[in-house]
Amino acid sequence: MTAEQKGIIDNLRKAIFEYNVDLAQESAKEAVEKGIDPIEALNAMTVAIKEIGDAFGKGELWLPDLVGASDAMQGATPVLEDEMKRRGVHRESLGVVVAGTVFGDIHSIGKTMVTTLLTAAGYRVEDLGVNVKAEVFIEAIKKHGADMLAMSALMTTTMTEQEKVIDALKKEGIRERVKVMIGGAAVTDEFAEEIGADGYDPTAPGAVELARKLLEKQ
Amino acid sequence: MKGFVRNMKPLDVLTGEQIEQIHSATLHVLRKTGVRFDSKRALQLFEKNGCMVDHDTNRVRFPEGLVEECLRRAPSRFHVRARNPNNDMVWGGNTIYFQALSGTRTVDLDTWEPRTPTRKEYYDAVTVLDGLGHVAIVPWYTPWFGFKHIPPVMAMPEGLAARLRNTSKFTCAGYSMGCEVFNIQMAQAVGAELRTMMAASPPLTFYEETIDAAFRIVEAGFVLLPTSGCVYGGTAPATIAGSLVSGNAEIIAGLVFAQLVRPGTRVIAQDFSFPQNMRTGAPAFGSIEISLHQAAFNQIWHSYGIPTDGGVCYPNSKKIDYQAGYEKAIIAAIGALSGTNTLWIQGAMYGELAFHPVQAVIDDDIAGMLGRFLEGIHVNDETLAVKVIDEVGPIPGHYLNQPHTRKWWKQEQFIPSASDRLTHSEWLKQGKKDCIEIAKERCEAICNTHKVDPPLTESQEQDLERILKEAREHYRKKELLSAIEWEEYQKDLASPGYPYS
Repeated sequence: MTAEQKGIIDNLRKAIFEYNVDLAQESAKEAVEKGIDPIEALNAMTVAIKEIGDAFGKGELWLPDLVGASDAMQGATPVLEDEMKRRGVHRESLGVVVAGTVFGDIHSIGKTMVTTLLTAAGYRVEDLGVNVKAEVFIEAIKKHGADMLAMSALMTTTMTEQEKVIDALKKEGIRERVKVMIGGAAVTDEFAEEIGADGYDPTAPGAVELARKLLEKQ
Repeated sequence: MKGFVRNMKPLDVLTGEQIEQIHSATLHVLRKTGVRFDSKRALQLFEKNGCMVDHDTNRVRFPEGLVEECLRRAPSRFHVRARNPNNDMVWGGNTIYFQALSGTRTVDLDTWEPRTPTRKEYYDAVTVLDGLGHVAIVPWYTPWFGFKHIPPVMAMPEGLAARLRNTSKFTCAGYSMGCEVFNIQMAQAVGAELRTMMAASPPLTFYEETIDAAFRIVEAGFVLLPTSGCVYGGTAPATIAGSLVSGNAEIIAGLVFAQLVRPGTRVIAQDFSFPQNMRTGAPAFGSIEISLHQAAFNQIWHSYGIPTDGGVCYPNSKKIDYQAGYEKAIIAAIGALSGTNTLWIQGAMYGELAFHPVQAVIDDDIAGMLGRFLEGIHVNDETLAVKVIDEVGPIPGHYLNQPHTRKWWKQEQFIPSASDRLTHSEWLKQGKKDCIEIAKERCEAICNTHKVDPPLTESQEQDLERILKEAREHYRKKELLSAIEWEEYQKDLASPGYPYS
């Protein structure tokens, strides 16, 4: 790798640590222009995100840091993924997770914390955002060949929507293909069991641990 | 040392007219009743400066003009020097600093029974106080009045040595049996100043030992804290107004003394008074009248332009529990809001009778919360955030990813170190810890990792040991240290971990 290419990789890492979306996007474009392997560029950012995630887990960093780093990562990812498609290459990951906040619920913070830390841990995360309908989850699971579905619902009024998604997975005959992890302030272990989810954890770092355990069993 | 600056008007509990009434009643008491000073030297000094002195009763009666002039002479704002210059402070104005609050013994956290701490516990507790962010002052008797195997006459010099070794924050020393002579030498040897109290024995009396110590402290150029430990209903009138009059007469007498010995002496006035518990006879620690008294005291002394030490947060509870929490928090909040410049809080448990470093860790959060409140709300273009509000707009916009949030949230939010702030489910999973358990862990972590900055130099350490040795010999010669005490003390001094354990 040339000194110039190394400088670009350093800037990608710097963008994560400084929560700088603009720098992340510019550096990703530069990386593509200068012929840097997009997988290598993504890996460099993933390592940086992992450091942020670890510091968050230890209580050294806070939510605005996690969200800032995640935004920077998301700024660069589409550019690098386009380049991967163009080159026809794929990135090794621990598994593919489709994630989103369920229909009727627009609370994104908890879900974003989990997706950021899952990305940091080496999973490929397809974040569908908030207010996601059951059919959209199903389409994404099929399209990306997901290993896991991670759903979030903050309110007692929307947490039952998670059950509807699980029922829809059954109807489609793909329930056995994916592990289902749920989260949200009102959710409990009992509720997770009742609606037929595979697991629940109250914290974002705990959710990553749970994902690891569930996917290891497969 | 960064203090908290109060950016709001102080809480006033008295009207201007009421302050005037209390002030003129105080002047009347000083002029007519007078104050007893059991010291020939002091009586001569007062007489020379125009006071009426009755040498048979040792009663000093103060002319108004002298009182008013001495109140003007005392500085309204001054610098105090700690062992580490970064821990220096400026007392007065709108600034508040928090200080640890002592107890005679430690407490077993399972049985809640008190016991004498060991040398190691003493030194470790000083380390905890040095490591707590909001402890600015580690005063006399802190953390405890003494420790195991130490004869009573050596408790204060040994305690000061422990504080000079394990903290570089501003410290203080008391007096007893002439120990202030050694205390002053030790502080000078490490380049620190001391604050020492001049405690009236209410009603309206100063004993010789107190006066001798005050002469020494003022002549050494250190800070004097005149105080009245009156108990309203016992050693002062039962009314808050009356006890303010008699207590203030005592404190003003101390202040006049200091200004006559050395004009311009730095003085901070302390309110250390409590209602009488009319069942047990003890001071009624933790009672709400303390707050009324302290708030009025702060208001009166600020009208004199003298810094105040009007916030002593002793709980009456024997445990670290809900009662200790509300007693400490209420007294601290009112003391801070009414404008005290220094406030005692970290560590004390039941009255003066116990101290625990775990309690100090929890109290440090109260100090931080109050400090944050006093700093108030900053209103300017940047904090009004109109530009950011416009950029974020309605949903799906949010503020978590905004640089404005990252810049400001930590300045706006105080983050406690021992409070349980988990969600309920996290709390269940993490072992249902309460603030006491979290504080225990934090205490242990500070003991294991915190290092005093800077440690004493080798020559400072040698000086301390030399002075302590002189003190021991002095008290043996004076026969204030018995053979049995000396035998036990020597075993302690021969301990391989000396002086730290």
